[in-house]
Amino acid sequence: MKALNFTVLGLVLCFVVTLEAQSVEEIIENYVENIGGQEAWSKITSMKVTGVGKQQGIDYPFIASYMKDGRTIIDVNLQGNSFIVEAFDGENAWSMNFQTQKAEALDSESSINYKNEAKDNLTDAFFNYKAKGYSVELLGKEEWEGTECYKIKLTKTPVLVDGKEEENIDMYFFDTENYVPIAIESVIMSGPAKGATSQTLISDYQEVNGLYVAFSRIEKFNGQVSLELVFNVVEFNVALDESIFKMPVEETEPKKN
Amino acid sequence: MKKLLFTLALSIVLIPIYSSAQDSKSINAKNLFGDLRARHIGPALMSGRINDMETHPTNPRIIYAGTAGGGVWKSNNAGTTFNPIFDDYCQSIGAVAIDPNNPDNIVYVGTGETWTRNSISIGDGLYKSKDGGTTWNKIGLENSEHIANIVINPKNSKEVYIAVLGALWSDSEDRGVYKTTDGGVTWKNILYVDKKTGCADFAMDPDNPNILYASMWEFRRTAWSFESGGDNSALYKSTDGGETWNKIHNGFPEGKLGRLAIAVAPSNPNVLYTVIEAEEDTKKGLYRSDDAGNSWKQLNNDFGITVRPFYFSRIVVDPKNPDVVVKGGLTGSISRDGGKTFKSLGNMHADIHDIVFDINDSDRMYVGTDGGVYRSWNGGTTMEIVENLPLSQFYHVSVDNEEPYNVYGGLQDNGSWYGPSSSSGGINARDWNSIGGGDGFRVLRHPTKKIIYSEMQGAANVWRFDVEKKLIKTVQPLPTKGYAKLRFNWNAPMATSTFQPDRFYMGSQFVHRSEDMGDTWTIISPDLTTNDKSKQQQEDSGGLSMDNSGAENHTTIFTIAESTLDENIIWVGTDDGNVQITTNGGKSWTNTSMNIAGLPQNTWVYHIEASVHDKGTAYAVFDGHTRGDMTPYAYKTTDYGKTWINIISKDVVGFVRNIQEDYVNPDLLFLGTEFGLYITLDGGNIWSKFTKNMPSVAVHFIDLQKRTNDLVMGTHGRGVIIIDDISPLREISSEIMSEKLHFFKTKPAVMRDQGGFAGNFGSETQFVGRNPSRAAQIKYLLPKRHTFGKMTMEIQDLDGNKIASIGPGKSKGINIVNWNFTIKQPKVAKGKTFSFGGFTSPRVKAGKYKAVITKGKETFEHVFEVVYDKHSGLSDQERDLKHNTTMKMYNMTQELAYLVYELDAIIDVSKDKKKLTSALNTLKETLVITTGDNYVGSAEPQLREKMADLYSKIAGSYDKPSSAELENLSIIEERFNAAKTDFAKLKKKSKFKDLQLKTFDEFINE
Repeated sequence: MKALNFTVLGLVLCFVVTLEAQSVEEIIENYVENIGGQEAWSKITSMKVTGVGKQQGIDYPFIASYMKDGRTIIDVNLQGNSFIVEAFDGENAWSMNFQTQKAEALDSESSINYKNEAKDNLTDAFFNYKAKGYSVELLGKEEWEGTECYKIKLTKTPVLVDGKEEENIDMYFFDTENYVPIAIESVIMSGPAKGATSQTLISDYQEVNGLYVAFSRIEKFNGQVSLELVFNVVEFNVALDESIFKMPVEETEPKKN
Repeated sequence: MKKLLFTLALSIVLIPIYSSAQDSKSINAKNLFGDLRARHIGPALMSGRINDMETHPTNPRIIYAGTAGGGVWKSNNAGTTFNPIFDDYCQSIGAVAIDPNNPDNIVYVGTGETWTRNSISIGDGLYKSKDGGTTWNKIGLENSEHIANIVINPKNSKEVYIAVLGALWSDSEDRGVYKTTDGGVTWKNILYVDKKTGCADFAMDPDNPNILYASMWEFRRTAWSFESGGDNSALYKSTDGGETWNKIHNGFPEGKLGRLAIAVAPSNPNVLYTVIEAEEDTKKGLYRSDDAGNSWKQLNNDFGITVRPFYFSRIVVDPKNPDVVVKGGLTGSISRDGGKTFKSLGNMHADIHDIVFDINDSDRMYVGTDGGVYRSWNGGTTMEIVENLPLSQFYHVSVDNEEPYNVYGGLQDNGSWYGPSSSSGGINARDWNSIGGGDGFRVLRHPTKKIIYSEMQGAANVWRFDVEKKLIKTVQPLPTKGYAKLRFNWNAPMATSTFQPDRFYMGSQFVHRSEDMGDTWTIISPDLTTNDKSKQQQEDSGGLSMDNSGAENHTTIFTIAESTLDENIIWVGTDDGNVQITTNGGKSWTNTSMNIAGLPQNTWVYHIEASVHDKGTAYAVFDGHTRGDMTPYAYKTTDYGKTWINIISKDVVGFVRNIQEDYVNPDLLFLGTEFGLYITLDGGNIWSKFTKNMPSVAVHFIDLQKRTNDLVMGTHGRGVIIIDDISPLREISSEIMSEKLHFFKTKPAVMRDQGGFAGNFGSETQFVGRNPSRAAQIKYLLPKRHTFGKMTMEIQDLDGNKIASIGPGKSKGINIVNWNFTIKQPKVAKGKTFSFGGFTSPRVKAGKYKAVITKGKETFEHVFEVVYDKHSGLSDQERDLKHNTTMKMYNMTQELAYLVYELDAIIDVSKDKKKLTSALNTLKETLVITTGDNYVGSAEPQLREKMADLYSKIAGSYDKPSSAELENLSIIEERFNAAKTDFAKLKKKSKFKDLQLKTFDEFINE
């Protein structure tokens, strides 16, 4: 029934578009409404995603855990071992070194940038975007892979790149029929590909306890799929062991006399 | 409010359904290209022409390069590498400017290059970015054609001056200096001279933004001549922000003036430099003023300063020292004594168009040339090239039928080259081979032999290169008794024959045919041009500076096509508008140009494509831009030229350079225009611009590789661009658009065994062209994007058993999904570290498979075939042995994984049984690594590692398992059997009857 309502809503909004120009606020408001509404999402305190990452023909099962305050851990099962590819404890970001399989802190600049981005890990970037200091601009309608979209420019907290603050922009493509983003284009901010554009394709929106979540995210760079994330199970407000977000400190063995 | 709209909407719900039914016949391909995407292969080693360089005023890491035909590129790492930031717009750039008041965000780009050679492109206006180049808006001056400078008031961002050179090939009132005082909303022309005189250079006093200098230039090009200079060329100054202007010629030479450059020393605004093109050679050269233009003194008229003013007229003054001056030129010149004497800049590609200094350290310079961007760290003495700018400017492109096929072509000022369409680790600079010098144009591979024909400008040399024997000779047609002097176009046509492999055609004003690869020539036509003598006075070309390079040779043949269906049918097009045909191998010729309705007389015939489907059918495209006519022209005849129909629709923007017919579907055509590629699915009723990784670049030539169905484009600014396998476009029709999902036919997919060593040295900073996919590609059309609910894809055998699960494409239009022929990697026993061999996924056997897409409740199936690579030379039995051995080891690896899982589970519940756990642990230590790390701290490999490494070795080889490998396998097998026996004993001893274990299948599939 929910899905049916959704379709009808999509149709209706489609016509609204033809009747009057949409403001960027209305588009975002519709989107938030479409994926479950401001109120329902604000009650979410944690999210656990079980899924598979696909990269170059290999499947990597993962469990990702997110807290409302931004704490995050993504644990990939590699040959039966837990391998943390991304984690954030609220202040510091860390991950495991592939050679030693031990946790190592990211450089402090990356942690600062992660902290700024982490507030969008559980809820969407457009949630309370004004309160987060983000700005939005409707750049007009544009085709994305043949689908008519609203192109919305989202300017987030600036990122630090090699010691200098730089503007942090994502281009969102909202399907004009359904008012959900189907793609994001981001300029790569650092590293050798700095300045080039990467793309995230979003689809397979599915309902979980009245909220809609995209179960498929495809990362593309230069036309090639670099990573595909497929969500199998999404759980909200599950009890998470809060100690998992902290970077484990290796105990030094007591010296033998 | 929403509810109200809801009701309103329901009442009109039927309207769009009705209107979409009306549109169902015509297909706009633009929305359907989907995953069909262009692939750039460069090359970047010789790069291409740069028009304008720009530095960020406060951040030395940021550099912009405005290129002649390849758009705008931005470096964020002080010129080490660059990224393109202007692909969606006109790629011919005149000027780039950064707002000094908001340099991180506000950037202007003026389109239309300004160094006015014959092969120059055109611009389409002024663009502005408010986010450092991420997004752009066109803000006016659409008819400016060529924008020379953009200057922003450093104290007021809203005040911007634009120097518009204006149209090169025709009169225009859109010229001179334009000013906005509202940031580009409105523009006012504040200095206009006449329809022939544009603003060639512009400068602002760095301390007083009301003081402006503008050099006005009277100039005109035709296809057959160039004229620089006249009574209206002058240098002007304004002291009131452009309200009033005065000539500042005190000390200038008498008579007519040509192109003038102007520069103000940033560190002393009283010091000005100009370079003057004058009537008298002795009066040409560099002039300096030390009183802000009140008086001028000539300082230097060396060759480096006066050479080709239309091409080199840029002066740049060191930001910190008014006496350090650099001038663009053949080599570029630098003076450190205020302009009295100059020396050449360091060795680099010739033809220097712009120079910028680093904002903090004048030893660092960035130089824009005909061969890309160069950096210097020592004040211009030593230059190093930026290696990731694939700006190569092809005039022509062709392909052969090798595996992989090669791409051939000639470039502006950069010779001729060929390179592979794929190579180990991507197509690198080292994969390209030089195949001719000078300006390169047409390059053709002999149809059957390893021989390549190439040429330099005006057929001065036509080379025949035997690639295997490494033997070169020149074979151009020479003057012949009884015939007039030969007139070859700068870009002289050549052609080969489908029927006679050694046949070779060249065109002057005559068609020359050779039956022995150019050793002997026969003229098989009369003069096929208009032979208009008034267009043959090239020795008078240039205006104030003579410029008879040969580039203006006119009344020549430009395109030759022998029909692939009948060798007696030859089509010829001339640069002065004749479309000639012979149907008897040259005995008689008919000029059909009078039969082309709507085409202005004498419009340049840029390309004729003889149809492969029908003898009497041909396509001709015409380019009128050298007469100021930017209209796209493409025509089709089906009756040997008796009648021609227009096949251009209103969708096409930009004049046309080339057309390519599909070999299978006669209604599928590809059009190369000055602003990109267009495709029609219906013979030209609707053209759709192809923009998938395809910049709006000038497409000078198109070829279609028959075996692969790859569309190969020679672009004039972005190198060779390929669209792999265009075959899905052949199938698109209104019928398949009504299907919920349509699978496209695909050829059997080859599991390639061939490989190579990539050696990625240098790839950190070098451009590397992308290879085509080697995976099996499942291609299908979705009439509508999938957004809600689950959509999955499986590869299954014909009995419906799952082989692999892969991510489907969900976009509207053509989706292309890659499957690398493998099943899931094996489940590997858990150890302390990783088993690298265990990350190997084995390939399937050759045969038929099904792609099964599940979308909501519906499923869609497509059977496709997978075949082995014939290069490895394995028999069917050897293939079976390889597959069976691989799968045996795959299964062993998983069995071991399950055994270790069971063992770990028993250890977990046996903490109190010390003897048992000790025995289990001892066994485990022989099965998997239990200590160390994945690098130099790694422990001695155990059974898991040995098993997985051998598995990976056999699975990864092209060959059948060797006897050594099989022997090694038997050792591993024995050890595994022993381990299984040992474990079975311990398991029995442990006596855990109610131990909850997953079954083998549960464990493997979890």
